[in-house]
Amino acid sequence: MPTIEFDQVSKNFAGNTVIKGFDATVADKEFLVLLGPSGCGKSTMLRMIAGLTDISSGELRFDGVAVNDLEPKKRNIAFVFQSYALYPHMSVRANIGFPLVMDNFKWWHHIPLVGGFARRALMKRGDIAGEIDQVAEMLELTDYLDRRPKALSGGQRQRVAVARSLIREPALYLLDEPLSNLDAKLRTQMRAEISALHDRVQKSFVYVTHDQVEAMTMGTRIIVLNDGVVQQYGTPKEIYDRPANTFVARFIGSPPMNLVPVTFTDRGADMFGNTLSFAPPETLGEQAMQLGIRAEKVRVHAAGQDDGQAGYPAQIVTVENLGAETVVGFKFGSEPHDFEVGARASRDLFYAKLVGDVRLEHGQMCTVSFDPGDVLWYSTESGELFDSTQMASS
Amino acid sequence: MTVTTSARTQRATRRRRFSWTPYLFIGLAVLYLLLFAVVPLLKGLDLSFTNTRLLNPTAGKYIGFDNYDHLLGSGAFFKSVVTTLVYTAFTVVGSLALGTVSAFVINRFFPGRILARAVMVMPWAVPTVAVVLVFRWIYNDSTGVANAATAALGLGERGWLTDPSYGMLSVVLATVWKVTPFVMLVVLAALQSVPEDLYEATKIDGADSYSTFKLVVLPFLLPTLRVVALLMTIWSFRRFEIIWLLTGGGPVDVTTTIVIDVYRQAFNNSQLGLAAATGMLGLLLSLIVTAVYFVVEQRANKQNGVNA
Amino acid sequence: MIARRRLSTGVRALLALLLTCLAGFPLFWIINTAMTPTTDLFQGQQRLVPDISRTLDVFSVLTTDTPFLGWMANSAVVAFGTTLLSLVMATMAAYALSRYKFVGKGPMGFLFFATQMLPEALLVVPLYSLFAALGLLNQLSGLVLVNTAFAMPVALFILKSAIDNVPYELEESARVDGCSPLSILQVMVVPLVAPSMAAAAVITFFDGWNEYLFATTFIRDRSSWVGSTGLASFIGEFSTPLDTVFSAALVFTIPAIIFFLLMQRKIVSGLTAGSVKG
Ligand SMILES: Nc1ncnc2c1ncn2[C@@H]1O[C@H](COP(=O)(O)OP(=O)(O)OP(=O)(O)O)[C@@H](O)[C@H]1O
Ligand SMILES: [Mg+2]
Repeated sequence: MPTIEFDQVSKNFAGNTVIKGFDATVADKEFLVLLGPSGCGKSTMLRMIAGLTDISSGELRFDGVAVNDLEPKKRNIAFVFQSYALYPHMSVRANIGFPLVMDNFKWWHHIPLVGGFARRALMKRGDIAGEIDQVAEMLELTDYLDRRPKALSGGQRQRVAVARSLIREPALYLLDEPLSNLDAKLRTQMRAEISALHDRVQKSFVYVTHDQVEAMTMGTRIIVLNDGVVQQYGTPKEIYDRPANTFVARFIGSPPMNLVPVTFTDRGADMFGNTLSFAPPETLGEQAMQLGIRAEKVRVHAAGQDDGQAGYPAQIVTVENLGAETVVGFKFGSEPHDFEVGARASRDLFYAKLVGDVRLEHGQMCTVSFDPGDVLWYSTESGELFDSTQMASS
Repeated sequence: MTVTTSARTQRATRRRRFSWTPYLFIGLAVLYLLLFAVVPLLKGLDLSFTNTRLLNPTAGKYIGFDNYDHLLGSGAFFKSVVTTLVYTAFTVVGSLALGTVSAFVINRFFPGRILARAVMVMPWAVPTVAVVLVFRWIYNDSTGVANAATAALGLGERGWLTDPSYGMLSVVLATVWKVTPFVMLVVLAALQSVPEDLYEATKIDGADSYSTFKLVVLPFLLPTLRVVALLMTIWSFRRFEIIWLLTGGGPVDVTTTIVIDVYRQAFNNSQLGLAAATGMLGLLLSLIVTAVYFVVEQRANKQNGVNA
Repeated sequence: MIARRRLSTGVRALLALLLTCLAGFPLFWIINTAMTPTTDLFQGQQRLVPDISRTLDVFSVLTTDTPFLGWMANSAVVAFGTTLLSLVMATMAAYALSRYKFVGKGPMGFLFFATQMLPEALLVVPLYSLFAALGLLNQLSGLVLVNTAFAMPVALFILKSAIDNVPYELEESARVDGCSPLSILQVMVVPLVAPSMAAAAVITFFDGWNEYLFATTFIRDRSSWVGSTGLASFIGEFSTPLDTVFSAALVFTIPAIIFFLLMQRKIVSGLTAGSVKG
């Protein structure tokens, strides 16, 4: 159960740098989620932690000890592969039990032929068989224990892969998108199971996903990766409430955070021809910034029904009723337009997430408003969050 | 701070994990081949510079390049080179042509295909000595079925294994019979590796069967054919048993290839040194052919872009 | 269109018939000759239909009048030894070549390919003196050793291409679970390439089974002869009846044919893939 320290960890594949100077310290017993778009290097990161991929430069430390060259099996880890890596020639039972069997191997079991008998004998041992049954039950695999992986569906295979990693109690669980192939119900259930497991075993987890719901609900810490570079490292709440840059702001949240271009003129802050009633604490000397506001912090009223607060005219382009909430897509402007329908219509839209079933219609003119306190400011050039506290200290 | 980081980074980079594991795995096989192939080869090279004789093998003296001088100055050696090339050319072309045709025939359904394929593969499995036995019987002057057939066709009888004008033909025919199934199976595998949807795509695009062949089948086939041609060639260069047992190099040396020459010099003329020199030159020929093959292959790959 | 297809199917079947006859005839002729009385054979009286009823007679003559079955047993010993030795070494070497990067990998790979080029006739003399020094002449174990040198690289190519196709993640997963490289080889790799192992086994087995040149040079005692040398000794001698000779050829051939037929697909895919990457 180590603290994991990444010190300028980088990875090249034949001159192509996939992970660039990764720096982070993850405390013991954290549930760390690696979150990022496809191809950003999440699996590579996880494989480096497991010792399956060589670290090109930099140092990875467990409890302060460099482990760059430590054998995977000596790291005391469990790993769920993105591609499952089930052993095709073994039954589900043997697959799940394999780590336990190997844990109980004596050195002389590695001798040819002896190993085969030893494995068979160990599989039958009461404690191992019991563990297998228990994990299988937790993952609803009891009915499939005697099948080969080939005879399972994608989701069942994935559960076998998860079961195989949960059967031992390693110091560190590494899971690479372990729920990506499950249906919504099973996924919710498994999320809860894994979180409960984390509470119970009190071990460190590193969990790779590109599903932000998983990240938000399961993680105690999240690292958002893009293009091999850490974008932000923090608790789910920090990441949601104060995305460190526009990439994180767009990546987290559904719909993503609205990023509205604002230019600064003599008359004040201008947003699509509206002068804002407030301005960033300092303008950083930039002529333009982006105003970030979460969709659920945006209020929308049909034109002429303002609640008295300062609002900005806009036109509604899309209305998606999700039952408990309604997502409204709009464009700023006081003149009504004929909007095309289709994919292009949803480009450059801003969103508001409203509670309940709201009576708003496509094409309707409206007024949009939000509290200055909910607004974040981002640099247009660097995309970084303009953080007033940081500004003060530097 | 910067300094320490970069020093550490460099150390991590330089420290590539060295492991003995692969050497433990491969070591036995490599040592084995060193002992049973490379050492004898070097010993052969050594012999080729001596005048060692079979009857008193320890009494050989180093005579420099005399053996090679002798060979390169003698007509007999060049004759065996030409014989080897002729034998190789005919077997390779014959088996490639026949094997490819067979593969195309077998690739599509017709009644009795499974049986036909089974029979067409069998010659490959027949032990060479048995092949020789039956072909000697077929080629037999007085009672052989080959002569019975030619006589029935009104072509008269031939001395298949005794007439110098037919010796090479007979040996080539027997060889082609034996090795064609290998070509057929390999080409068949290549044909079946053409993805079905590629055929379908060209069909939907309205290609006729000639352009389907040229655009879809040929690109899959050519690399395979090149490899098979190389294997067939180097195997033909070193093929000994079928020729030796069928004709012993005769009649009148028309089937004396380099390897037959090596064996006869060693065991009939007991000139081990000269035999070794002959063998080394033969090996050189194989190496040249292989090198040419790889150059051609590389050029072909370059033309086709990155793949293959 | 349908008519054209039917026509081409017809042409194909006809061509197939011709090729099948060409390929099958010498085989058929072995059987036929074995089943025809020798006196008929030498009077040019060989009929086109084998006399199956002679089967038992012919084989009982073969077993009682010649030591051929003993020679075949020797062949089996040589072939079995060659297979075992080749497979053990080839599996490990193929695994190293397929899965590891290491200094000297290229030259070692070339060494394996290069043995395909070495003429046995060239090596037979140096090997003879080597074996004389090691006291391996006249021994079946000597034949096993020399056959392995030529058979093992072929097995290696087949196995390497098979191992190349085993997903690497399986082995990584096994490593995480605590397998040593040797147990990965046993527990993961060997079971997964079992079909190719079988194919390699068949090929190496019949390399040992069919080999003639080394057997005839290294083995002098008639009782230690193997099938191929025994069969070849019948060539050009007249004391053994020809039908008996051909029944020996038949008995010697049948195991090879059966195994090759069972394994042909695996053998070929292994051979091509192996040699392409060679
Ligand atoms: N063995 C390799 N050789 C070369 N490039 C590689 C290799 N493995 C991964 N890459 C590259 O590294 C980048 C990161 O890959 P990685 O598998 O870590 O992505 P990921 O974040 O896990 O993506 P996904 O969500 O799709 O699984 C990709 O651009 C990929 O193409
Ligand atoms: Mg991944």
